Amino acid sequence: MKIKSLFLVLTICISIAVQAQKSEYNAQSISDSLKENANAVVRLNQIDILIASQRSMTIKTKRVITVLNEKGLRAIDAIEWYNKSTTVRSIEAIVYDGLGNEIKKIKRKDFKDQSAVSGSTLFSENRYVFLDYTPIVYPFTLIYESEVQTSTTAFIPEWKPLTDYFLSVEKSILNVNCPSNLGFKKKEANFSDFKIVKSTDTPTQLSYTATHILAQKREEYSPDFDVIFPVVTMGLEYFNLEGVDGNAKTWKEYGQWFSEKILSGTDDLSAETKTKIRTLVGNETDPIKKARIVYHYVQEKTRYIFIHVGIGGWKPMPASDVDRLGYGDCKALSNYTKALLEAVDVPAYYTELYGDEDKMDIKSDFVSIQGNHVILCVPNKDKYLFLECTSQDIPFGYQANFTDDRNVIVMKPDGGEIIRTKIYDDTDNTKSSKGSYTVAPDGTLSGTVTMVSEGTRYGRKYYLEKMQPTDQEKHYKEYWDNINNLKIDKLAFVNDKEAIRFTENVAISAVNYGTIANNKMMVPVNAFTQYTGSVKRIRNRKTPFEIARGSADSDEIKVVLPAGFSVEFLPANFESKTKFGSYTTEIIKKDDNNLIYKRTLFVKSGLYANKDYDEYRLFMEQVNRNDNAKIILTKN
Amino acid sequence: MKAKLYIVLLLIIAIVNTYAQKFELGKVSVAELNEKKHPIDSSAVAAVLFKRGKTFFTYTNATGFTANHECEFRIKIYSLEGLSWANQKVSYYVGYENLNDDKVRFSSAVTYNLEDGKIVKTKLNNEGNFKTKINKYWNQATITLPNVKIGSVIEFKYVLESENLVRFPDFDFQYDIPVNFFEYKTEIPEYFIYNSLLKGSQEIETKMEVVDSKKEYALGYKQNNSLYSSKNIPALNKEEFVDNIDNYLGAIQNELETKRFPDMPVVDYARTWEGVAATIYKNKNFGDEIKIRNYYSKDLNGLLLHINTPVERLNVIFKYVQNKMNWNKVMGYYADKGVEKAYESKTGNVAEINFMLISMLKTAGIIANPVLVSTIENGIPVFPNRTVFNYVIAVAEIDGQKILLDITNKFTTSNVLPLNLLNWQGRLIKEDGSSKEIDLIPAIVSEDHYNIKATIQPDLRIIEGLLTVKRTDYSAFNFRETNGDKSKDIYLEYLENNLNKIEITDYFIDNKSQDLAKPVFESFNFKWDHSYDNIAGKLFLNPILFFTVTTNPFRQEVRQMPIYFGYPHRYIYTVSLKVPHGYSIESLPASIRIVTENKEASYVMNVNSEKDTVNIEVVKEINKAIFAAEDYDMLKNYFQQVIAKQNEKIVLKKI
Repeated sequence: MKIKSLFLVLTICISIAVQAQKSEYNAQSISDSLKENANAVVRLNQIDILIASQRSMTIKTKRVITVLNEKGLRAIDAIEWYNKSTTVRSIEAIVYDGLGNEIKKIKRKDFKDQSAVSGSTLFSENRYVFLDYTPIVYPFTLIYESEVQTSTTAFIPEWKPLTDYFLSVEKSILNVNCPSNLGFKKKEANFSDFKIVKSTDTPTQLSYTATHILAQKREEYSPDFDVIFPVVTMGLEYFNLEGVDGNAKTWKEYGQWFSEKILSGTDDLSAETKTKIRTLVGNETDPIKKARIVYHYVQEKTRYIFIHVGIGGWKPMPASDVDRLGYGDCKALSNYTKALLEAVDVPAYYTELYGDEDKMDIKSDFVSIQGNHVILCVPNKDKYLFLECTSQDIPFGYQANFTDDRNVIVMKPDGGEIIRTKIYDDTDNTKSSKGSYTVAPDGTLSGTVTMVSEGTRYGRKYYLEKMQPTDQEKHYKEYWDNINNLKIDKLAFVNDKEAIRFTENVAISAVNYGTIANNKMMVPVNAFTQYTGSVKRIRNRKTPFEIARGSADSDEIKVVLPAGFSVEFLPANFESKTKFGSYTTEIIKKDDNNLIYKRTLFVKSGLYANKDYDEYRLFMEQVNRNDNAKIILTKN
Repeated sequence: MKAKLYIVLLLIIAIVNTYAQKFELGKVSVAELNEKKHPIDSSAVAAVLFKRGKTFFTYTNATGFTANHECEFRIKIYSLEGLSWANQKVSYYVGYENLNDDKVRFSSAVTYNLEDGKIVKTKLNNEGNFKTKINKYWNQATITLPNVKIGSVIEFKYVLESENLVRFPDFDFQYDIPVNFFEYKTEIPEYFIYNSLLKGSQEIETKMEVVDSKKEYALGYKQNNSLYSSKNIPALNKEEFVDNIDNYLGAIQNELETKRFPDMPVVDYARTWEGVAATIYKNKNFGDEIKIRNYYSKDLNGLLLHINTPVERLNVIFKYVQNKMNWNKVMGYYADKGVEKAYESKTGNVAEINFMLISMLKTAGIIANPVLVSTIENGIPVFPNRTVFNYVIAVAEIDGQKILLDITNKFTTSNVLPLNLLNWQGRLIKEDGSSKEIDLIPAIVSEDHYNIKATIQPDLRIIEGLLTVKRTDYSAFNFRETNGDKSKDIYLEYLENNLNKIEITDYFIDNKSQDLAKPVFESFNFKWDHSYDNIAGKLFLNPILFFTVTTNPFRQEVRQMPIYFGYPHRYIYTVSLKVPHGYSIESLPASIRIVTENKEASYVMNVNSEKDTVNIEVVKEINKAIFAAEDYDMLKNYFQQVIAKQNEKIVLKKI
């Protein structure tokens, strides 16, 4: 009897244990290769997308993540966005310890609900629910499940089997179901080197399974994540955007739909405003000169703010409102500028694109709503000029570092067209430094230098003018971190917006620049443009590396050495040419105390193989070393 | 130091305010619109021309007293960077248990521009006025003013209504732009006594009077009116090495001290530190939670079996709770779900897990008490009130020695707290409600000891050798916290780049996390390319090699705020450098001793040579956690000298 009851207790225990255990997701069962460099492991990420009609899409997610340490928490990604057209039908999670024992069930009410308002967004109708879980043990496994329903079918989430660095994947699955009449389409990229099986690919069904993806390290100078790792982009020819139906097979059709359904009716201006802008333009007939006048008018009149209302934030606020209120976001300000330009008979086109320091293209072979930013395109004979309307201070037509060299979609009157924006050539991105410095017998340096920046380099400099004096000081002390004890004696800027050229005139001094020991003085010859940075060492680089924008530096500096010393040693002239660029230095000895130091550094833009990285690092190291070359003087 | 940062507003200074009438909304002048630059601070992007605040009480039978906080602003925009002042946000609390939600209402928002010499007014309508539910606790009211450009003057007013009378919103009068004039008036019924406190280093004028109330809700009572004002408050901008800029920005704070209604007992909220501490201790979510014991007693008995000395007992309990419990990142000094539930679910807020520790230590026969703390982000706890604290830790006492303990973090140990707790004093509270100050800034000097044995290989142009590192106390804590999770590969990559691109092999680490009270040790072989200048047959190298500092962390010429280092720190570098065959020593940097006037920072370098070996020993110490702003030049100069000294070369010549 006694034995029997014990047995009963035991079986109950076991059955309870079995119920609450998910042995399949035991953390011990993860292979070592997947643990390497991983903060978390995706055991399963299954996304089921069911498109029921042009106005209905359901996305089910089941994600099983084993989190190995605190840095892996972000891989849980238990967050869903919602608004007027999107509903979170269900969201829940269960947490298991490393052995697969259930620790906690998390119901919808335990998720937090938050507005998307933050930072520069003043108002937004978007909200999100998210999980804020405190782990009690590592590793742990979390099963997250959600179902989201939306009437906006214009955006089908991209499928990325690998979503982040330092994250490995056991299995990732995508299933899509779609009626045949909506024109479902897809585009695969970067599949090679990854184990991805496409099990179904019919006009109404699509399925992929990716397995065993190792964790990747983030490496400096890597191209964008989406350019190196697998991604499937999907879309519909017949879609709905926040209540507005659309259809587009070609960019031309897309542009027609966008102009007709989204933009139309937003560009009216009062007669008074039209008269005002016409008066301002006067007798000017050249369209580009007219555009310049209008652009400056907008820059002075408006300011950028971000308010997220209306159809998903896709329709610009009416031009007449911007005129009245003097503010708007990129859509509103571009559209307003367009309306003003049209009032003075200058054609201008609303343009969608990705605004980013990285050069991100609108995928020209995949017609769908893309981009995160809006600018304006003005035809200039057979070329195009692009206007950034959100900035109150950049020069007319300036695009470097944010909208340059990329495919954009331009809404022309007869439909959309993909156009590439302005390319800043490596040789146009110049910085020239001219000046002189004197070293006193006690080692004190005093000198002046004029630095002129153009092309992309202008964009890295023009803001200096607006900085607080303490920040300017900080900037120069960082810029010349090779000069200890630096004092800025004079500072003057010329910002030539017409020529897009920024000039810095700086006078500096520094005690102990030349270091004296035993009757000798050591003077680093390159005082003004020493490259003190360095390219990081990377152990076993895996990804290709990219120099996104090239540059060309040229320097000519007069050096006056102290009286009472004679030159014991002058650094030799140096020249280096590599596939990444070239570097030269030259010292011309005028007489015992006067030298001229010349230097050029040219860096070529380009995408290079991973194995080239070390060579590039060594090239820059050479630059670093030669920039630090020293003159030795002996006291007479 | 403290006295300089805060001034207690107790005296009635009878200075009649003469500005009071000049500043009214709607009376913007052409001169203000024409102004191109701020007359005193020419770099200002905008300026608050005036800010007027008023706090007054209203009463209804249904809800009792409500505090109304009014603010009026006139702001001038000088440059593009100043345009952001045209967007205004006020957050308000909606998460009360027994009170109605706070309310915020913007009004009188107008933009003024000068067009053809005429003043043009644009009023804000509903288009630029938003309310957002941020989350369960907070809402936000936002306005964005129309037609704002360079040169505009904007005005607006808002009222925040709150039934929460315990603490008024701070009245800020210093920003990162100048404030030309401000005035803050409080009108408080005699039933409420508030503590007023001036934050920052600006001097202001204060006037107080008692008047008969004219309000309807009860006739014949007195009202205490206070008027604070000043002019030309300079901008305070970000600086490096600052604990929290909020400590230094001018503001007026008010916290309820006493409620004394007629025919009712006086309710004391807080008057002294003792009072504050006692009030907190009496709360059921504080003292009572420490008294609960049964939930852990079985576990603890097992744990303490055969462990007898108090120090061992403390260590065992500390480790046990630190391993078991997980902090949910919620601060505060009250338990939320309670210690029992927290223990069971292995997660808890700061109070729950540190109360557990205190309770277990007491059960184990060790004197242990809670210490109320204000974290760095929360500011300096300077004036007795409850709202200054936001954290609670434990203090144990063994053989008369006090040991500070916090177990929210997986790497803390005895007397090593998370860095954001190193903020002035905490308040130790005993069970009887008595309390006293306790220093949170560590007295012990944390150490980094680097030992290098290096050889120069002139043929290969490299230096190679062996480096061992020992880190103690806070330095060890910092290391463990920063690198604890990193994989070896990633850490070494970071280290190689950090140490001037040396190449590391045979890396070994000891006591990464086994015994947190003991130092961390690392050792490895290194190879360093291009590590010296080879000029005309002579080698020039820095005495402490890749540890050489070349830039001064202090760049600004003038300093406004104290300089914060966190904890006293000592760096020791011992270098033994072998002179290569075929070379001899031409010159060595002279030994030196640099000490600041107050002896709180020093740098001592001893250099000598013995046959073919150069021995260098450097000890760099910063013995204080926080220096006054007046010490800035001294510190800057100290770093300057240290850098110059570190860059003096050892010169070797070819024989």
